[in-house]
Amino acid sequence: MRGWLSTGIRLPLAALAVALAAYPLILGNPYSFRLATLAGIYALLAIGYQLIFGYAGALSLAQGCFFGIGAYVSALLASRLGWSFAWSFPLSLAAPVALAALVALPVLRLESHYLALATLGVAQVALLAAVNWQGLTGGANGIAGIPAIALFGARVPDGWPLMLVVWLFAAAGAFLAWHLMRGLYGRMFHLMRENDIAATALGIDRARLRLAAFLLSALYAGAAGALYAHSEGVISPGVLEFPVMVACLAMAVIGGSARVSGAILGAVLLVHLPEWFRVLDQSYLIAYGAALLAVIIVAPWGLIGAVERLRARLLPELLPEPPAPRMTTLRARAGNAAARLLEVEGLAIAFGGLKALDGVTFSVRPGELVGLIGPNGSGKTTLVNVVSGLYRPSAGRIRFAGQDITETAPYRRARLGLARSFQSTSLVAEMTALDSVALGRAALEGTGLASALASGWRCAHLARARGHAMALLDALGIAAFAERRCGELPHGITRRVEIARALALEPRLLILDEPAAGLSAGEAADLRQHLQRLAQGGLTLLVIEHNMPFLMPLAERMICLDDGRLIAEGKPAEIRGHPRVIEAYLGRAAWAGGPG
Amino acid sequence: MELLQLIIDGVSLGAAYALVALGFVLVLNATGAVNFAAGDLVMAGGFAAVALAEAFPLPGLALLPLVLLLMAALGLVFSLLAYFPLMRRPPTAVFISTIALGVILQNAANAIFGAAPRKAPALLGEHLYHLGGLSIGRQSLAIVAVAAALVLAQHLLFARTQLGRSLRATAQDRETAEALGIPTVRMIALTFMLAAALAGAAGLLLANRYFVEPTRGNELIVSAYMAVVIGGWGSLPGAVLAALLIALFQVIVSAYASYTTATALLYAVLLAVLLLRPKGLFGEAIGRRV
Amino acid sequence: MSEPLLELQGLSVAYGGIAALEEVTLTVASGEAVALLGANGAGKSTLVKAVMGLVAPSAGRMRFAGGDLRHLSTLARARLGLGYCPEGRRVFPGLSVRENLEVAARVDKATRRRRLDAVLAVFPALAARSDARAWQLSGGQQQMLALGRALMGQPRLLLLDEPSLGLSPILADELLEKVREIAKAGTAVLLAEQNAAKALAIASRAYLLEVGRVVREGASAALAESAEVRKAFLGG
Repeated sequence: MRGWLSTGIRLPLAALAVALAAYPLILGNPYSFRLATLAGIYALLAIGYQLIFGYAGALSLAQGCFFGIGAYVSALLASRLGWSFAWSFPLSLAAPVALAALVALPVLRLESHYLALATLGVAQVALLAAVNWQGLTGGANGIAGIPAIALFGARVPDGWPLMLVVWLFAAAGAFLAWHLMRGLYGRMFHLMRENDIAATALGIDRARLRLAAFLLSALYAGAAGALYAHSEGVISPGVLEFPVMVACLAMAVIGGSARVSGAILGAVLLVHLPEWFRVLDQSYLIAYGAALLAVIIVAPWGLIGAVERLRARLLPELLPEPPAPRMTTLRARAGNAAARLLEVEGLAIAFGGLKALDGVTFSVRPGELVGLIGPNGSGKTTLVNVVSGLYRPSAGRIRFAGQDITETAPYRRARLGLARSFQSTSLVAEMTALDSVALGRAALEGTGLASALASGWRCAHLARARGHAMALLDALGIAAFAERRCGELPHGITRRVEIARALALEPRLLILDEPAAGLSAGEAADLRQHLQRLAQGGLTLLVIEHNMPFLMPLAERMICLDDGRLIAEGKPAEIRGHPRVIEAYLGRAAWAGGPG
Repeated sequence: MELLQLIIDGVSLGAAYALVALGFVLVLNATGAVNFAAGDLVMAGGFAAVALAEAFPLPGLALLPLVLLLMAALGLVFSLLAYFPLMRRPPTAVFISTIALGVILQNAANAIFGAAPRKAPALLGEHLYHLGGLSIGRQSLAIVAVAAALVLAQHLLFARTQLGRSLRATAQDRETAEALGIPTVRMIALTFMLAAALAGAAGLLLANRYFVEPTRGNELIVSAYMAVVIGGWGSLPGAVLAALLIALFQVIVSAYASYTTATALLYAVLLAVLLLRPKGLFGEAIGRRV
Repeated sequence: MSEPLLELQGLSVAYGGIAALEEVTLTVASGEAVALLGANGAGKSTLVKAVMGLVAPSAGRMRFAGGDLRHLSTLARARLGLGYCPEGRRVFPGLSVRENLEVAARVDKATRRRRLDAVLAVFPALAARSDARAWQLSGGQQQMLALGRALMGQPRLLLLDEPSLGLSPILADELLEKVREIAKAGTAVLLAEQNAAKALAIASRAYLLEVGRVVREGASAALAESAEVRKAFLGG
């Protein structure tokens, strides 16, 4: 019981659901059934919207448009052509999904406001078409005489049966969304939303995730629109107007944007708000606006988020038993030691006239541990970003494991076995260390929608990935932190969690960008031991550091960058005595001190 | 001859659009925030003019200073509600808060003035000049003149005065500006006031010929936004120029085909621009650091 | 001896649980040039930002010109006479060279004009390009501009955060030479710098930071002889 209470908010949610179901039944009048039906339709709309807005983090303003299109398609097929619900319903889903697929290409690549305004543009065109294409849509008068839903040949009567049917659809949609997002797939979205670059570095294809969420959101909106048309019996261009979108956005934000329960709560609240506050009369949209503003300022995580926070404060979470480790073998896909694993040739890149890299050439052999040093601003991180694919070089080639990857997308490079860490922490604060590392398995377990659906009731992908993650946390000596959230971990531990996550990819080459930054001397020494052990296990490592005392005893070979150019290469002892390295680090003037 | 007539109409509509786009870019540059309610501020300005005209039966030009003042005050309130509480949050939060304020403005206007279109007085009366086969409204000319004067005033303020330099410095690097002794909070509040005043002026200019109704803002924000994207994200002259082009396109294509066709084509152009240049025609000034 | 111009006592700064500075104690006297040395990540920038109020300390005392700094905003600190030249230059890219300088002088028009002429006289390279937009300048010129801009407020203490960063050795020398001139003319300077040799040549005293702590302080000449400085940069 206590475990059930403290690992989520399932019990309060269940109580709330019962109360909601009881409410219209107790009132028992047709109007309360109608409102409850409407709430179910909006819940479905908002659950779909959460997939693109809450999970994918993309502010689409086309959800209202998809809803309207679903409603129009249903209305046209049912009232003009006399199609039965069993045939018109699937087409009402397909039409908005097809439109979403069509606009996804230009629109979905865009960031925040571009996406928002571009999707709004699509919605405006749809509205104009509905108003002006009178032959088809009936113009401003809309379409009347839409038959009620018929299931298995029987017409669903108004009142509680209709409410029940609509809520069954909503429940099915809620279950599908919840199931889809509770495993590894949902965590991929979470990481992508918080830090898309880190997600890409784990081989997660951001474009594909966003597309899946966008199409699914259109699917839900189409279903909601179809149910709306059938339950109201008449529609007008109003279903395509902006207030529908505003209501949907407000429901998602007020309820809580990445929780299925939030969408349901938001829909029920906002549909009933004008009823409960009769004084608002026609101005209920002002109240929507005010509530939206208040929630975004005071509780950006929404009502469900607020309840969860409250619960976490009152009843501290019990840490679940960590899973049993599953052995990961570090793929020593090394092969021929004389071959080159990574070859960089003549790399150059400039930012606004400043040459950040200028003809950098070097290579890494399988099984080697190479140190890359250079003073602040010398181009070390830029080099990592070019090799991992975040920046396109203006000149030069990169070969990895015998393959030219100069033009390869960054997530594909990760899947080829090129893993990297980041200078600043790239973990999601609310995610546990275990799940963060499990995400390193995303590319190996499959990042597609189909594989997420196929994951099964027990979320086999997540379970398997967690097993591997546990083994890696154990190997790095931080198994005790597995179920702790990354935001609460000490800095030294988070660095190791990030290394474990990169290792979960089973990389051929691991590039670490300043792994010792911000570590105390003791922590750094500890980390060094772990890296040494990994190297002995056959892992190829390229370690970027400015902290020379850390790197010197570790590296077999070192490369020094200065001002975007490679100025020295050799064994650590040679590098330390190299006049150009000394000059780069200590300045040009004659150095007075003797050798240390 | 008919085309010339349309061009004159288009330029006068475009002059009003330019003011909206200008206000939008000023806020964008100063805060990085996309003000979704920019169109609703125009609508508010239009209704302010309608209400003022009922109280004082004066020509529009005499009401302009009052509208500017009222709207500047609204801009201040706007920034206090929608921007300052969310300054340190991701840009999406501010975007949603401006949507919320837009909804509030729209429905407040609906509650006060009703849904029917209303008309504000012309700037200097509704006289028509006949010139050859052309008939040019005095209102059209006055719109272009007033808009040009406001754009020029904004330009001079920004280019020639210490206040303008401070506003620009704040927009370009807020932290550094603050560390150099520039009161950036005041500068940002002032930017919102300026933007709202410009939008309000556009509302007054548009509300005579095109009327004003509570939902007017939705089309306007899309037009203004398109001007900003096509003119180059963040560019003031680009936004003004693109606003003129968009209005010309709308007026001319609407005359020969239909308003729906014009709007749909315009969106197609917008989508094409975004497809080919996802960060706007000239790209955003500030890249992302990893 | 009178009270120092800037006095930090037990100053600590932490970013999300990571200690960036730990109990740093440091003083700068009026008219004195002090160097702050250390490898990348040692905490130099954090210290300068803490003085400017751009990061909040978790503990410690900060006094400037006899007053407590801790509860003052960045704006108020700038107006008290702290001049700031940030890491990475951060000139206002869309403002012209002249405008970049003018905007930093919050005084009447005539005084502003006088200061502008004075700064342009120090940096002839900027005078030659005074109408160019700042983004069009080379890295070295931008750094000169950032330095000149910090001088426009006539600060009592100039905070310089890695002014030679990303500059070629010749340009770095040229720039640090300007800093030496400014210090000589009587403005106190706190110079955070990786280029240890050059910084020690300018400053009379220096502090060596390592992982957020002061590990060595003293007269520049003594530090220049020290093996610790070399070790801090190049490893044992």
